[in-house]
Amino acid sequence: MTRTPLAHEESWLQLPWLANGRLTLEERAEVEAHVRGCPECARELATQRSLQGLLSAPDTVSYAAAPSFRKLLQRIDAAPAAAADSAAPKPRHRLAPHAWRPPGLAWAATFVLTVSLGLMVATTYRWSQPAYRVTTTAAAPASAVLHVAFERSLPVGEVGEVLQRAGARVVEGEGGSGVFGVVPATANGPVDRAQLAALAARLHRDPRVRWIEPLAGDAPAARDP
Amino acid sequence: MLNRPAPGGHLPVRQQGPSGGTTPMAEATYRGGSSAAREVELMRRIAAGDKRAFEELYHAYHRRMARFLTRLTRRYDVAEEVINDTFWVVWTKAGDFRGDSQPSTWIFGIAYRKARSAFRASARRLEENLDVLPEPLTTETPASQTELRDWLGQALETLPIEQRMAVQLCYELGHSCEEIATIMDCPVNTVKTRLFHARAKLQRLLPQLAEPRAGESA
Repeated sequence: MTRTPLAHEESWLQLPWLANGRLTLEERAEVEAHVRGCPECARELATQRSLQGLLSAPDTVSYAAAPSFRKLLQRIDAAPAAAADSAAPKPRHRLAPHAWRPPGLAWAATFVLTVSLGLMVATTYRWSQPAYRVTTTAAAPASAVLHVAFERSLPVGEVGEVLQRAGARVVEGEGGSGVFGVVPATANGPVDRAQLAALAARLHRDPRVRWIEPLAGDAPAARDP
Repeated sequence: MLNRPAPGGHLPVRQQGPSGGTTPMAEATYRGGSSAAREVELMRRIAAGDKRAFEELYHAYHRRMARFLTRLTRRYDVAEEVINDTFWVVWTKAGDFRGDSQPSTWIFGIAYRKARSAFRASARRLEENLDVLPEPLTTETPASQTELRDWLGQALETLPIEQRMAVQLCYELGHSCEEIATIMDCPVNTVKTRLFHARAKLQRLLPQLAEPRAGESA
């Protein structure tokens, strides 16, 4: 047979599978045809068959499968549920659409939603309010208490003297603002508007009184510009 | 120079009867394995959680895998660990088997990757490429089949792991070139190249491989 380098190299590479019987019929016919005319490949095929015979020869030992399988089963049975969920074949772990599920996630989601809604309502209410804050109301003090401010440098003792002279007594401390709430010294109960107007007039006569809160309907009585 | 390995090595496996070896019929059954159709059916049942099918498939493969891996690692305990690691994957991933290849190719592909990792972790020194080894392993005198098998086992240890696996998959387990390429996840030509180099080294180390011997079964 004519030997071509390509055919020889190809046949040489195919010899292991000619020896183990795994070539297709077509491949086998081609390689065997080459081997018949190629002493080198024929020798190599003998070597390949020798090698194949040695490596596939019957075992002189046996391997006990059962103990190994028991170990594997123990490992499978001991596997954590979480690992099984992620690793086991999908059909065995796929939940039906209506299957019951632990409510923990639903509770957590509900909690988060509730808190979010509460924050949103609070924020909306806050934004709906004016940007400034009203610290006093107009009606109540005007009808019950007269608010008075004195010169800033006036000693506490003189404040008392001014109030005594005008017949007033303090019912609301100045609290750092310099404004006192006063009523007629003789008043024991609710004070009407006339009593407050009379008291305001008496206080207004003292130059050390800097400002008197106007009563409802009155003109401003403050001395401040 | 005679570098014959100690008989039996350190393989904790029990010996067969005094006649030694399994019968040719049993060996033929082992090499043929269960039919591909049967294995596909077993894979389907395993994917559904059938432990009986799993056990059947395990027993169908255990012997050939134990032999393959023990020869590869020279340690049965490592081989057993690799087998169980492989079948752990089979158990957990059977549902992923699409039938693109035969079950045996798929399973040995898993075993190949597990074995390669185990081998590299435990015996890096055996991966040394002994291209420069000048001395043949055998003596000038004709060797018996048993001696030659021992020498062959030692010669295989001198091969790089990829070449050794290719040799075993081809000659020992009888896989086709395409199946080996699938198992080793490499091109067909790479398989041929690995075997080409392995054959050259084995012939250099074991010149008696090419000599006819009495009682040769192949």
